[in-house]
Amino acid sequence: MTLILGPCCRQHARRFFTASKPTVWTARSFATEVPSSVEEFDVVIVGGGPAGLALATALASSKPILDTTSIALIEAGDLARVRNWSQPSGTFSNRVSSITNISQGFLDSIGAWAHVENSRVAKLEDMQVWDGLSDARIEFSASELRSLSGSGRVPQIAHMTENLNLQRGLLHRLNDFPSVKLLDNVKVDDIKAEEGDKGGWPTLKLSDGKTLRTRLLVGADGFNSPVKKYAGIRTYGWAYDTHAVVATMFHSPPFPGTPLTAYQRFLPTGPIAFLPLSDTAASLVWSTKPHLAAALKATHPDMINAAFRLPDTSMKVLYDVLLDTKSQVTPEEMAETIRWREESHGIAPLSSLSSIEAGGSAAVGGYGGEADMPPLVTAIQPGSVAGFPLRLSHAEVYIGEGAGARTALVGDAAHTIHPLAGQGLNMGLADVQALSKCIENAVQLGADIGSRTALLPYPRARYFENHKLLSATDKLHKLYETTFPPVVWARSAGLEVINELESVKSVLMMNAGRGGEASSLWDVAAAGVEGVSRAVHSAEAVARGVGNLGMALIQNALRK
Amino acid sequence: MRISRRLLSAAASASTANPSEIAFFSRLSQQWWDESGEFAFLHRMNPVRVGYIRDKILATIEDEAPTPAQGRETVRALGPRPLAGLDILDVGCGGGLLCESLARLGGRTLGIDASSSNVAIATLHASQDPRLSGSTPSSNERPQPLEYKHTTSEELLASGASRPQFDVVCSMEVLEHVDHPDKFLRSCADLVKPGGHLFLSTISRTPLSQFLTITMAENILGLVSRGTHDHTKYVKPSELVQFFSDELGWIRRPSNGSPGNLPFDQAELRGMAYLPWAGKWILSPRGAPMELDCNYLFWARKPKTPQ
Repeated sequence: MTLILGPCCRQHARRFFTASKPTVWTARSFATEVPSSVEEFDVVIVGGGPAGLALATALASSKPILDTTSIALIEAGDLARVRNWSQPSGTFSNRVSSITNISQGFLDSIGAWAHVENSRVAKLEDMQVWDGLSDARIEFSASELRSLSGSGRVPQIAHMTENLNLQRGLLHRLNDFPSVKLLDNVKVDDIKAEEGDKGGWPTLKLSDGKTLRTRLLVGADGFNSPVKKYAGIRTYGWAYDTHAVVATMFHSPPFPGTPLTAYQRFLPTGPIAFLPLSDTAASLVWSTKPHLAAALKATHPDMINAAFRLPDTSMKVLYDVLLDTKSQVTPEEMAETIRWREESHGIAPLSSLSSIEAGGSAAVGGYGGEADMPPLVTAIQPGSVAGFPLRLSHAEVYIGEGAGARTALVGDAAHTIHPLAGQGLNMGLADVQALSKCIENAVQLGADIGSRTALLPYPRARYFENHKLLSATDKLHKLYETTFPPVVWARSAGLEVINELESVKSVLMMNAGRGGEASSLWDVAAAGVEGVSRAVHSAEAVARGVGNLGMALIQNALRK
Repeated sequence: MRISRRLLSAAASASTANPSEIAFFSRLSQQWWDESGEFAFLHRMNPVRVGYIRDKILATIEDEAPTPAQGRETVRALGPRPLAGLDILDVGCGGGLLCESLARLGGRTLGIDASSSNVAIATLHASQDPRLSGSTPSSNERPQPLEYKHTTSEELLASGASRPQFDVVCSMEVLEHVDHPDKFLRSCADLVKPGGHLFLSTISRTPLSQFLTITMAENILGLVSRGTHDHTKYVKPSELVQFFSDELGWIRRPSNGSPGNLPFDQAELRGMAYLPWAGKWILSPRGAPMELDCNYLFWARKPKTPQ
């Protein structure tokens, strides 16, 4: 790379500083001979996940940006496999996201939603969330959303779909913009700021030998973002002592007309969620302790059914069975244990609280009944079980400075969140929307879109919003995972549990509205988060009986 | 009235640029492109100035189209290059903050500055940008979108065999630094083609501006170097209006005294305010209290036929 000023140009520079006679200088007289292998771009996006692809699409679908800006996206994997992805109908990929109505509106506005395969999208109409200790329960539905927003009909809380369906849709939309360069099957070997007088623009060396120089480098490259590292941006956060187990589950169809419902139960080990994908399939997200998660990778449908139904004391027995058995526990043994636990709790075999599907009951999937439970899972899609660690992280800033200037982070590169509120992907899409809006405004003012001044509106729009959501979700996770007796007692007695669940609801419903309704919904959410701190206060009040030591311990437990 | 007298007093020197001011800004010139440094405020102010220039020029195009529909169509066709086809001069270009933006919006832009190091810095910075240095194939059809020249408005006027004239002449945050505002303004005005636009931004001479630009910005907050500003050199909006109507005859139907109530097709004054909580400059709402008491923009249109 010969990007530093050549000797001839240095001479020019000297002449400049001693120039006494008026002379016309053009920028070209300074321009270095750029080796032909260096390609110049205005925006280079690293990462072809949902956030990176959405950013490329959003930028390209803005005419002012497309007319003035060259765009490239680099992805280490094979984008053709995503573009040509297909899966037999009725089966699903295990990485699923809930797309809020705001996110969906944004995807629609950039022309991508039309390319998302509709038959693989489920409209979520109802949601049931309850506490694993007290069974205190809260329900919310799309009809409630309507009354919250006070304007128009909102037919769904969110759309559930596979990330691959979204990524494929974005790639198909990008077909409309041949000028956007998609460089896949190629890794970023190195990123350097130019040296000397060339302005310190980021310069990327790719594994195929190419060199790219870019005005703006966007990291959509996940938690271990190389762009973040290049920019020298530090990350604040911690790993939760929690892993998520995901899987695609099958069940019998419900009664016709039953609203499509998501279920989430807060167990002391973490929340377990049932996210519907169709009438007969749903996605599992079970957040739990790492050693349990490892054992659960060989999970059985009965175990999942039990996790939504059995009291926590019996869940502990099941965990022991799962962990203690030297050889793998057989489905029969697990079913036997569950049946035994149900008997001891007096749960009738055919009731909605029973986890074992009775052979002759022509099961209707378990919808309805006195306690609203998810349909009984009958099978797990082979090969769909996977696990990954959960962590809270927030980059200290979203745009680089100094030696790491001309950089911006979006999506998981900027923040990672506990999945309990289903907001991870939506936060990334909101980043993308804000950054592309910021770039659109900048090009219309002739700004250098890599400059700090041009990029500042982006973190101003997103940083605090993301921070609120991250901290609300983090507080909830901690409140529910604590095993400190006074807090647990307060929860099991139903004390303030409704308040806590209201806050869960608020976080889940956040951004559920459309466009302009976001702020009013946020107010509800903020009230919910208030609810969390109220709950903490009441737990503290309980502890006051135990003494100040107890209170300090609670505070520590919650602060941990 | 003090400044009005100064505006009318002719000076003997060939250039209105003050030598000590030129040296002062030369020392600062390395910092021109440090967006968090000495010139952070100018960087933040730039989008407002560019937006004002762009919108004013587009509004004129719309107003002068035979029909409103045609006007809208012309503007739409310009797309993201609203200044395409215009010759633009920026007097006192400094590090080139404004010039680069105007060039990106399509204007054939010439930046001039009395400080040779400013011109060198501006040229060097533009050379780093392939869209301004003409080193990308896509910009080959518009060679030299941006040029810089070490000169003053008076020298430029005196130089060319054919008198150089521009569709748009800008001079941002310069008027408050020159020794002979009347000569300076006259030279800027002479560089504008008939029917062309002149944009100025400067600071009014008021107790508020003394407080904000000197007491606060220089002495207390240290946002800009001490000695950047000389309050006695500030020019009031009413003085500008008087000069452009009485002396230059650009404003032909002067309103009775109120600078905020100018004929819309001839001139306009707009205040600029910094919102610390939002970290940005805005155009002050029209008629806001003390709208024109500190930083303000002045736009005037040169008559198509000599008065």
